[in-house]
Amino acid sequence: MTRSRSPVLLIAALLAPALIGLVVFRLYPIALAVSDSFFNVLRGQPVFVGLDNYLSLLADSTFWKSMQVTFWFNLLINPIQIALALGLALLYVQQFRGVTLYRILFLIPIGVSLPTAVIIWRIMLSQDGLVNGVLGIAGIPAQPWLTSEALALYSIIAIATWKGISYWMIFIIGGLQTIAPEIYDAARLDGVRPWQRLVFITIPLLRPTLLFVLVADVSINFLLFAPIFMLTQGGPADSTNVLMYEAYKSGFIFGDMGRAMAIIVVVVAILLVIVGLQFKLLAGREARP
Amino acid sequence: MSLPSTPGRRIFSLGWRHLVYAAIAFVFVLPLWWAIVSSLRPNAEVFADIFPFTAKALLPSPVTFEAYIGIFERGFGAIIANTMLVALVTMAAGLVVNGAAGFAFAMFDFKGKRIVLTAIIISFMLPFEAIALPLYTVTRQLGWLDTVAALVVPSIANGLAVFLFYQFFSQVPRDYAEAARLDGVGWLDILLRIYVPLSLPTCISAALLLFIFQWEAFLWPLLAMPSQQFKVIQVGMAAFQQQYQTIWNQLFAVSVITALIPIALLLPLQRYYVQGLAGAGIKG
Repeated sequence: MTRSRSPVLLIAALLAPALIGLVVFRLYPIALAVSDSFFNVLRGQPVFVGLDNYLSLLADSTFWKSMQVTFWFNLLINPIQIALALGLALLYVQQFRGVTLYRILFLIPIGVSLPTAVIIWRIMLSQDGLVNGVLGIAGIPAQPWLTSEALALYSIIAIATWKGISYWMIFIIGGLQTIAPEIYDAARLDGVRPWQRLVFITIPLLRPTLLFVLVADVSINFLLFAPIFMLTQGGPADSTNVLMYEAYKSGFIFGDMGRAMAIIVVVVAILLVIVGLQFKLLAGREARP
Repeated sequence: MSLPSTPGRRIFSLGWRHLVYAAIAFVFVLPLWWAIVSSLRPNAEVFADIFPFTAKALLPSPVTFEAYIGIFERGFGAIIANTMLVALVTMAAGLVVNGAAGFAFAMFDFKGKRIVLTAIIISFMLPFEAIALPLYTVTRQLGWLDTVAALVVPSIANGLAVFLFYQFFSQVPRDYAEAARLDGVGWLDILLRIYVPLSLPTCISAALLLFIFQWEAFLWPLLAMPSQQFKVIQVGMAAFQQQYQTIWNQLFAVSVITALIPIALLLPLQRYYVQGLAGAGIKG
């Protein structure tokens, strides 16, 4: 394939706006977070403190509790979301009369922003809200969904899952469309059962897509902020105090930007390690180009 | 589904299927439906018929528009206009900027292309939340805090949108460009007259992406607009929630408007949105 001589000026002009944007508003902030985490502000003056912000995190029980909450939250929400999104995608691609209506309804949470979903669910989950009302039919007593230490984190998981799975479903649908129908036909002739088809054909062939969804989903959930900010402010008793919220509190409520940036750097570093591990463990030999 | 079956079993399994789909659809629709119903009730009636629960809880019994009138009296019209402005400007600028970059990546080979492309893809995998706090410092250094530019400019360059365009333009047969080049057509003309019209579906899916991203923005406008003179909808809604905890019907009215605008865009264009994003996942 012959390519024309590259018109350098044109390439530069086409790329410049996007690249400047990405450098100034993505890469530079990351570098800034790292450098700010080495400073503390004393009487309005930034003072270089080296690794002090990180060292004090090590001895900080609030930070460790928050780390624990973040990990527990992610260990639950990511597998739940991906399994449900896969199930939903399998339903979405079925062909039968009337499926179009269901497909449209499955997409509704994508249009509902997370803050909106949070507001509606908060009222639905209130003491005398719809959820407790419906459970009341079955004789289940009203639960303090968002105000009890035992339930708040799980309620947030449920809300974020409701909001999130339609979006992840879309990517999985794309993956399903790349699987040749002949493979299923052959499997059917060999008498393969539906669940075997799922475990031995669909999921292995979906691996690249599932890996993408896993990485993207973990990245979002590891940094989830809005529901915690709006619903629980980290409470009750720090049971929903994920690291992102702890960082926000540090920087914008207690004015300790050094500590906030140190937490952000730690969070993003952990996230990058997790993402790296996921690629290493799951990408397999045929890996990405 | 293709097992040989008698007509009776067929109808039975068809019934089951609809039951399963309808139950799932119900869970997805219920919150929005209840919000719509409650926004049409007088405030004192919002929690009626829930204890004990009756189906009437899911129908607006006395219909009133007082909640909608109320929120516009509180200035939500301006907040919606603000958000529209931010989202539409970001969308228009984003299509040009990201489309141009995607075109350059797809059409030309140049030194460092792989590295730059990878950097862009990683930048879209890393959620905005990760850089929101340091971005606050950048914006302060630029002197943009409390300006519309702080909301618009950082969101224009979007790695996912670049990737969508790159992916689309890579699939267009190169012969088109080659033939036009031989006829002496300039690159800019090739881009504008051949590639832009072809890429309309990608433009729609990238436009939806950029619009919804801005419409849903919450943490960033919260940080970038400390004085909150210029409010966008998600922040306005959250503030409303904190300030008027018990004006339920108005809170629902705000939520309904906030949700219905993107849904109204998404439903007629869902095919483009689904195809665009689904394609990104495969190669991503």
